[in-house]
Amino acid sequence: MSPEAGGQATLDALHAVADGSVCLLDPPERIAGSQLRARVEPADGEALALCLDVLSGRGEPVLVMGSGTRMDLGNPARGVSLALSSRRLNGITEFDAADGVVQVLAGTPLSEVSRRVESEGWLLPLDPSGPGGTVGGALATAHCGPRQRGFGPVRDAVLGIDTVLASGERTRCGARVVKNVTGYDLAKLYVGSLGTLAVIEKAWLRLKPIPACIRQMERPLDEVEDAFAQALAASRRSSARAVGLVAEPPAFPGADRGPWRLLAEFAGEEPTVRADSEWLAQGGAPAVEGEGIVDELRARQAACSGAGLHARIHLLPSALAGVAGRLRERGAHLVVYPEPAVVHARFEPEAESAGPGWCEGVLGLLGEIRNAGSAEVIIEAMPGEASRELDVFAGARGLDLMRAIKRRFDPEAILNPGRFAGRI
Amino acid sequence: MSKNFPNPEVPSPILIERLSAVVGADNCLSRPEELFAYGCDALTLDAHLPSAVVLPRTSGQVAEVVAICREFGHAFVPRGAGTGLSGGAVPLDGAVVICCSRMQSILEVDAANRLAVVQPGVVNAHLSEAIHHLGLFYAPDPSSQQACTIGGNVAENSGGPHTLKYGTTTNHVLAMEMVLPDASRVRLGSPTGFAPGYDLVGAAVGSEGTLGIVTEITVRLMEIPEAVETVLAIFDEVPAACRLVGGIIRSGMVPAALEVVDQRTIRAVEASVYKAGLPTDAGAVLIIELDGAACEMDTQLQRISELAEREGVRELRVARDAQERALFWRARKGAFGAMGRLAPDLYVHDAVVPRAKLPEVLEEICAIGDRHGLTLSNVFHAGDGNLHPNISFDRRDPDELARVLAAGREMLELCVRVGGVLTGEHGVGTEKRDYMGMLFEPADLDAMRRLRDAFNPDGVCNPGKLIPTTRACTESNPHARGYDEVPL
Repeated sequence: MSPEAGGQATLDALHAVADGSVCLLDPPERIAGSQLRARVEPADGEALALCLDVLSGRGEPVLVMGSGTRMDLGNPARGVSLALSSRRLNGITEFDAADGVVQVLAGTPLSEVSRRVESEGWLLPLDPSGPGGTVGGALATAHCGPRQRGFGPVRDAVLGIDTVLASGERTRCGARVVKNVTGYDLAKLYVGSLGTLAVIEKAWLRLKPIPACIRQMERPLDEVEDAFAQALAASRRSSARAVGLVAEPPAFPGADRGPWRLLAEFAGEEPTVRADSEWLAQGGAPAVEGEGIVDELRARQAACSGAGLHARIHLLPSALAGVAGRLRERGAHLVVYPEPAVVHARFEPEAESAGPGWCEGVLGLLGEIRNAGSAEVIIEAMPGEASRELDVFAGARGLDLMRAIKRRFDPEAILNPGRFAGRI
Repeated sequence: MSKNFPNPEVPSPILIERLSAVVGADNCLSRPEELFAYGCDALTLDAHLPSAVVLPRTSGQVAEVVAICREFGHAFVPRGAGTGLSGGAVPLDGAVVICCSRMQSILEVDAANRLAVVQPGVVNAHLSEAIHHLGLFYAPDPSSQQACTIGGNVAENSGGPHTLKYGTTTNHVLAMEMVLPDASRVRLGSPTGFAPGYDLVGAAVGSEGTLGIVTEITVRLMEIPEAVETVLAIFDEVPAACRLVGGIIRSGMVPAALEVVDQRTIRAVEASVYKAGLPTDAGAVLIIELDGAACEMDTQLQRISELAEREGVRELRVARDAQERALFWRARKGAFGAMGRLAPDLYVHDAVVPRAKLPEVLEEICAIGDRHGLTLSNVFHAGDGNLHPNISFDRRDPDELARVLAAGREMLELCVRVGGVLTGEHGVGTEKRDYMGMLFEPADLDAMRRLRDAFNPDGVCNPGKLIPTTRACTESNPHARGYDEVPL
């Protein structure tokens, strides 16, 4: 870092190469644990490259961001007083409706891309976990909403990415075609890297056809075993696009029973959707058609108060019931996706089960779950300064390799320093 | 050549002794007649003898072999069954070949969680056969699946006819163990499908054995679909078949496979053991495979019938049963073998174009073949825009070989010009390494080099592949690359 991090000389240099890109923040804005004095918002790829050239030349670290809707993800940044936002890189640069592919600038809102491609019968298979958000942000976080079952992970939608490296060099990987093994698949590396390797300028995305028929269902399930078996079976129906179980904490600590709700969305050919809906409606408490099912899952997945702790746990389907039971007993509000198996556990300090040191207790439980094997635990949000004490991605394997990659892509460590796994 | 690894002409007897001590004398080959088969993969134009070949059986042995290679200053090259088509397993610079084909164990099948853990030498088709009774299958299905290994598939990110719906190998690998070029062992990814940090599994799949040697792989298994329908759409000409592909994609259907076979290929197949009763007077056959819920098959077949009528289809033939379906696929996957009837040698090209460009690109590819006076046939994954122009030739004719190489280059230039890429599933290897500049700027290639150097900083693991080297200028000359030195 330069001796005058975020200082006037840096801002002047940025003004000189990309006039109009620098927005001073007075008073400073606090984002991702950093006091930001200014936000740099290049208007195009060329300006982005010039800005990064200046920043790397001065060893000036920056907080890389899109529209800033999910800055809660990741560790706090280290020693940063400038933000570099891609939100002015806005627009669809090419849309091939015959081929079902689209090239989009990183700052383009997901909703805008969806509107455009849907007008031609295509669907953008990026399912945000909350409102707002840009394409660049969706790729950098690789964060998935309720429709991951139907859409697949974020990386599956990405065909190619144009990036600007920390040095200011503009690079490209992948292409617009749907199948490609020409060279290393760097796009896989950039997706989910939280902006620590390069800044995404634009990307080619693969679209999916709009399904002919969509139906949403809801079914109450009392027994834990029944709930998880039903949810997994529903998730494995061929038209399942989103299947989630939701539950509130038990009425009193130690209780392990109570109603679960299975929320499902089926999408596809009409006969299959009908068959899958009828299957879910059979036996026990009947399933009923619902509306806003996916919105509810998304809202529950995203909701966490500033004082709460939100953990995302990836595990094997066979471990779901046991892990979810332990979390629920501890006072968690749960959203459980059976396959790929992911639990979103939200703990609120005002819950009856919370007492002094509740946060440490919850972290201890999450550590036990991680150490039991075949579970990956990510802390998506936690109270105030507590997050400074811990790596929210703890347990990453291959950290030495990750650090070696970081050194080669961003030798001055100016892109989102400290934000990623292992405090990379 | 690797940066710090000289190329000893003759391997030291001590090296052979040390390698034999790790894997056993029966699993260490060093006599020229033993090495010959390991000098190339299925791209037989580019062959270089290795210094030695070792056939380890465990991850630990692989790590020990790598450590010994380093100690003796030898580069090393991982190899599966050698079915690759881009020279990825060619041992340049007298490298030691570490052949994983004897690491053949299926270590675990977890049907409840739909995953399996395998050694890299497990043959692709054997995994699906082993889990069929569980109602599961392993989706990537390259045409060579009866021989190719899953480790090799990981190295090349192999696809196959069913890529259209199920994706390539990268979509099915959850985790792996890798021996790094410094001989350390590392586990990457997670059986859950998500691992914190950079997606190192995503970066390693398709890296053509240049980042390390994969010694254990956790793969995702899929449920065998409830229903499958396979249809042959028979056309008088290839462009009409391609237009139907576009129509199906545009209609919102996602078939499991859309494969085109042209007339020359049909005739070669029908004259071979792969004969399936395809009409030899047809200009093209489009194989359409639908799978999924039984209740939606009729609707989709009806829609396909309507779309095909619009493109002037001559006949639609639906496979009557699983046996006939298997016959159709045997014909499709055996097409490359059947080409042996046309000429002594076959150059299988691999490039991808935007699907909407298929008709015009195929026309131009045929024109290139004609211009060079070559025997060209086409069998390709139309649903992915993945072309395989196949040139039948005789390498003993130097003039014909030169025309084959020139035509291949022109075809790649054409594909790149329309927004396509150099390879969809065969990889870059040595074959297309020096063509990378057609598609990428120096800064793009430098970014790839950064990734390689993080894993393989001294270039000792599979040197000379994928990224153009400073020798590229001389090596872009096919004769300089040794094509004219290949024994017949």
